[in-house]
Amino acid sequence: MKAIKEEHVCEDKVYASIFSTHSKTVFNYIYYKFGNEEKAYDVVQEAFIKLWENCSKVAPDKAKSYVYTIANNLYLNVIKAEKVRLKYAPGTNAVVNESPDFIMEEQEYKEKLERALQALPENQRTTFLLNRIDGKKYAEIADMEGVSVKAIEKRMHLALKTLREKIEGI
Amino acid sequence: MQENYLAKWLNNELSEEEVVKFKESKEYASYVKLREATDNLVGPDFDMAKAWEDLNKQKASKESKVVKLNPFKKYLSIAAAIALIFTATFLYYGTLNEEVSTQYAERAEIVLPDASEVQLNADSQISYSKKNWDNKRNIALNGEAYFKVAKGKRFTVTTENGTVTVLGTQFNVENRKGYFEVACYEGLVSVIYNKKEVKLPAGNSLVVINGEVQALEIPNIKEPSWIRNESNFKSIPLKYVLDEFQRQFNLEVATQNIDTEQLFTGSFSNTNKDLALQSISTPSQMKYKLEGNKVLFYAETP
Repeated sequence: MKAIKEEHVCEDKVYASIFSTHSKTVFNYIYYKFGNEEKAYDVVQEAFIKLWENCSKVAPDKAKSYVYTIANNLYLNVIKAEKVRLKYAPGTNAVVNESPDFIMEEQEYKEKLERALQALPENQRTTFLLNRIDGKKYAEIADMEGVSVKAIEKRMHLALKTLREKIEGI
Repeated sequence: MQENYLAKWLNNELSEEEVVKFKESKEYASYVKLREATDNLVGPDFDMAKAWEDLNKQKASKESKVVKLNPFKKYLSIAAAIALIFTATFLYYGTLNEEVSTQYAERAEIVLPDASEVQLNADSQISYSKKNWDNKRNIALNGEAYFKVAKGKRFTVTTENGTVTVLGTQFNVENRKGYFEVACYEGLVSVIYNKKEVKLPAGNSLVVINGEVQALEIPNIKEPSWIRNESNFKSIPLKYVLDEFQRQFNLEVATQNIDTEQLFTGSFSNTNKDLALQSISTPSQMKYKLEGNKVLFYAETP
């Protein structure tokens, strides 16, 4: 059953829950495009202020795409993106009895991967990282970017292909 | 193989035959490795609690423009804001458990939990939370300090006059009565003064004297002069120079027939008292008398 009385974005509780669900993804989304944490942080602030100012005009189920649209527009106003630097989860690769050679190879691989990610076109990188890091479904990413699911699959396919080619030096 | 099969494979959408076929291809191993390697990727740090706090500050400042139709609701939100401020202040001060302070003619060097360094000038005080440092790099400052910040999360210095935030750089903050100065030596520093944000790139400083803001270039040096035991001034009212002198040598300074608002440019040694006295008095055409721990500066009579 759906609630009969529709909730309003202006209500503090609703607004806070929209913020806690989406602010991190907006931040990551813009970071993957920009490569600048400070700007991504500012974009989050600005997008959610806009949502607050227009809270009476935005239905709760539209709030998410509203915030992404604003974040996207703010991104478009900035000319040049910096390098995207990412980290690895600590300990995930820490098997004690690895040989030094193996560890070095792994390290080299990570560096190649990092460079390859930086070289990807912005839209492929964003799609790839939103899926791999934030676990977003293709349909969700399509929503954020305002394109079809098929377009996202295309970007994902190309991202994988390009990454492999770059890493292996083909 | 169907279109965009790599995307489908990653999403487990390939049919069994397609999977078998893909596994036979020579690129399959590379794609598996790529998938494994990107399983461990983590995104950038995002401090949601801080973002929420900042957002509420911005909201509060914009609130006045919004016309509320339900007057009762307005009071509710004000009450909520007040409650939030109280809780935030309580939590904030509750977390500042580590305290370091210096007396007159004293200095201290502090290494923070993440290996960031702080050098504390005379008569200054910092407090921060050791326990919560990994979560929040927050320092409250009273006085003057030079920071070498290790790269990482947002690093915030809070003072009565303004707030300074950075990600990783070297900068100096001086916060004295009626005087606020931030100088950036490396990277980019953001200063919030009077609700306005100013970005300071390396080699620039912001000086606020009695509420008047000036942007200045700093001489091309790697660190503030006081680190090298010298106090440096450029067009600064004499009274702040004398205050600093007092702090460095633990002396009581008095003046007679002297305009302490006149601007002083120059430097004085923080180790040699006599040299310092001369460096201050000569350019300003003053004489001085030193008795015990008291200094009197007076006007030269022709």
